[in-house]
Amino acid sequence: MIEIRNVTKAFGGTRAVSDCSISLEGLTITGLIGPNGSGKTTLFNLITGLLKPDSGEIRFLGKRIDGRLPHEMARLGLIRTFQLSRVFPRMTVLENMLLAPQGQTGERLLSLWFRLPRIRNEESDNRERAFELLDLLGLMRLHDQFAENLSYGQQKLLELGRALMAKPRMILLDEPTAGINPTLIRTMIEMILKMRDRGQVFFIIEHNMDVVIEVCEKVFVLDHGEKIAEGRPEEIQRDPRVIEAYLGC
Amino acid sequence: MDLLLHLAVVVAIYSIFALSLNVEIGYTGLFNFGHVAFFAIGAYTSALLTLSGAPFAVGLLAGLAAAGVCGYLLSIPALKLQGDYFGIATLGFGEILRMVVSNEVWLTKGPMGLPGIPRPEILGFIFDTLPAYLALSACMALTTFAILAFVVLSPFGRALKAVRDDETAAEILGKNALRFKIKSFVIGSTFAGLAGVLWAHYTTFISPGDFTLTETILVLLIVVMGGKGTLPGPVLGAVALIFFQESVRFLRLPPEWTRLLGPLQQMVFGLLLVVLMVFRPEGIIRERGGRHGD
Amino acid sequence: MDSISYYLQTALNGILAGCIYALFAMGLTLIYGVLNFVNFAHGELIMWGAYFLFLFMGEPFGLPLYAAIPPALALTGCLGVAMDFSVFRPLRWANRLTLLIAAMGLSVFLRNAAQFFWGAEVRTYGLEVSAGTRFFGLYLTMPQMAIILVTLLCVGAVYLLFFRSRLGKSMRALSDNLDLARISGIDTKRAILAAWVISAVLAAIGGILLALDTNLSPEMGIINLIKAFAATLIGGVGNLWGALLGGLLIGLAENLGVLFISPGYKDGIAFVIMVIILLARPYVIVGERSD
Repeated sequence: MIEIRNVTKAFGGTRAVSDCSISLEGLTITGLIGPNGSGKTTLFNLITGLLKPDSGEIRFLGKRIDGRLPHEMARLGLIRTFQLSRVFPRMTVLENMLLAPQGQTGERLLSLWFRLPRIRNEESDNRERAFELLDLLGLMRLHDQFAENLSYGQQKLLELGRALMAKPRMILLDEPTAGINPTLIRTMIEMILKMRDRGQVFFIIEHNMDVVIEVCEKVFVLDHGEKIAEGRPEEIQRDPRVIEAYLGC
Repeated sequence: MDLLLHLAVVVAIYSIFALSLNVEIGYTGLFNFGHVAFFAIGAYTSALLTLSGAPFAVGLLAGLAAAGVCGYLLSIPALKLQGDYFGIATLGFGEILRMVVSNEVWLTKGPMGLPGIPRPEILGFIFDTLPAYLALSACMALTTFAILAFVVLSPFGRALKAVRDDETAAEILGKNALRFKIKSFVIGSTFAGLAGVLWAHYTTFISPGDFTLTETILVLLIVVMGGKGTLPGPVLGAVALIFFQESVRFLRLPPEWTRLLGPLQQMVFGLLLVVLMVFRPEGIIRERGGRHGD
Repeated sequence: MDSISYYLQTALNGILAGCIYALFAMGLTLIYGVLNFVNFAHGELIMWGAYFLFLFMGEPFGLPLYAAIPPALALTGCLGVAMDFSVFRPLRWANRLTLLIAAMGLSVFLRNAAQFFWGAEVRTYGLEVSAGTRFFGLYLTMPQMAIILVTLLCVGAVYLLFFRSRLGKSMRALSDNLDLARISGIDTKRAILAAWVISAVLAAIGGILLALDTNLSPEMGIINLIKAFAATLIGGVGNLWGALLGGLLIGLAENLGVLFISPGYKDGIAFVIMVIILLARPYVIVGERSD
């Protein structure tokens, strides 16, 4: 689905991502691991248009996407979450969810006045879907709270729910389980697996190897911006280069 | 009684002015510190047109259009800026506009101002008494409230709030943040123009001195004191502050006091802004969750 | 006067104005660098600096110019610190809009306080107008010579302070990253305090020079704030030398611009330059975080 070819991105003199090539063709849940500062989030930023690669190209469903603006990526069906959750703090949980669907008629200022029935329909469909997802995420009773009142873990769940609301072709999750308690990690994993069974494709940065092994079909390993290994999670764990990278020298 | 009617008219006009600013500051997070410029554009456009014989309806629509178009033109360079920078750019625009109004004497008569702006006339009815004018401005205020409420509670308004809360996250969710900000700015500017039109035809005399930073501060204070990002906040703020300001004006004080009164009142406003920000930045009415657009 | 020396004289006047704008811009950009917000009340420091001098030169003090300058600068420095203590320190971790509106309120308060005490009218220090001196056909008055000299001194002092002292080092660290500076054991309180004092004193010096060369009024602050801001935008925000350069450019553009357009628009030139710069800039989405 995503095809990254020889992508390089440098900040000042240091290469955050270096000549990296990754293909996610035909995979449902792919992992991206690597020590801190190995360029994982930078790669996500490149894919989602927050950064422009210095060289190389990124293709999504065959279309070249590098250098496009973030909102265009979302339109194409790429939605991400952030390492430190970025929910909209002064909007309710439900509003956070309802915001995500793409191409809403009611977001166009002119349509607002002429296509009210259609907007009503969209809203009620979206709301139904939002409640269904919130229920699965265990956030139902918090739906009219401001998102800033949620615990950190709940915010990360909300971010996942929000991404799902957008019905993207692929969701990029940046450390979905970091810093949240084991119960919520369980909810998170089950949600991801359930959505995979419904055909949702994920690309996940994850530190927690147990999670990686449980959910990922294939894993790519970055170190100092370079891809040093790829393969099934169990193989990766035994790969000497990966072990070396994690222990550091 | 006349004083009360006068106060009510001013409250209605400033409610429109404040509601329009609230769309920008409260719902989109745009720190517009030059909002008075659009008030002035509305006022001057309608005044000049009606003075040269155009009917009020034409002046009104032209005033709205001129303010909206200027808002659009300013937003293109200014919205490349974030936060405080945008604030200064708009502040600068307000000052520039006053400069233009003062200098282009052939058009605006400069500092002399424009006297004798006709009272509004719609379908043969002339709004030349206080109660009539109150009816007109209250009607306009209600319409403004209804339109802006509809806009901010819609999915469009929801997207504005997302841009306000976290622009990057909104972009990631497919919202073209710049577009939303421009639209919000144009809406705000247009309705500020409406307030300006009503102001010009109410006082029947306008001059560059009516459109200084002081007005921007007043309307800013109205919004943040009432409660930005809420619907009733700006109206409540307008009631409270206009009553305070206009009642001071109507106290019969010796002239040497009134010279001091102006700055003193502004000092109070400034201090009020600071104290609010330190102790209750959300204003009197707190923005709450619980309503979702439809 | 022949036309070439007329243009040169105009350019010289532009440099003189530019020096003053540079002083304002350096103070503004300094606070921006350290605390990461635009101090809307910076203009009031400029104006109050000039009025403090007016205060000490008038009754009941009646000090001569040279004796009145030190207390005026000291008082403005105190005002800067007082601003920080009363408003900006309590709001250090508040969101941007809150901070901005507070600064705006402070600016309104201080501007009108000056008007309350001294009236809205335009004033001068009432010094005798000294005859100017001619250099190579260019005309330069005493205050104007002072502008050049004092600006050079200030720039030198700021350079020494910033790039040669420990305090400057900690201020620079702060402008890179406040949180990081805090945990790496830098005395952030002292550095922030120093930044306020320097910013305020630079503003006061500039304000006094401007008032000596022209006049003083409560409105002088807000007008110059916009110019200082345009100068910082030209030079790159947070960049001291950029602010210096930007100030000079704005001063030159204003004075040379008046050759072509009505003098009534002189104060608008800075704004137009600002718009042009902005139009040339790409739209950036800020606020992204990376690991």
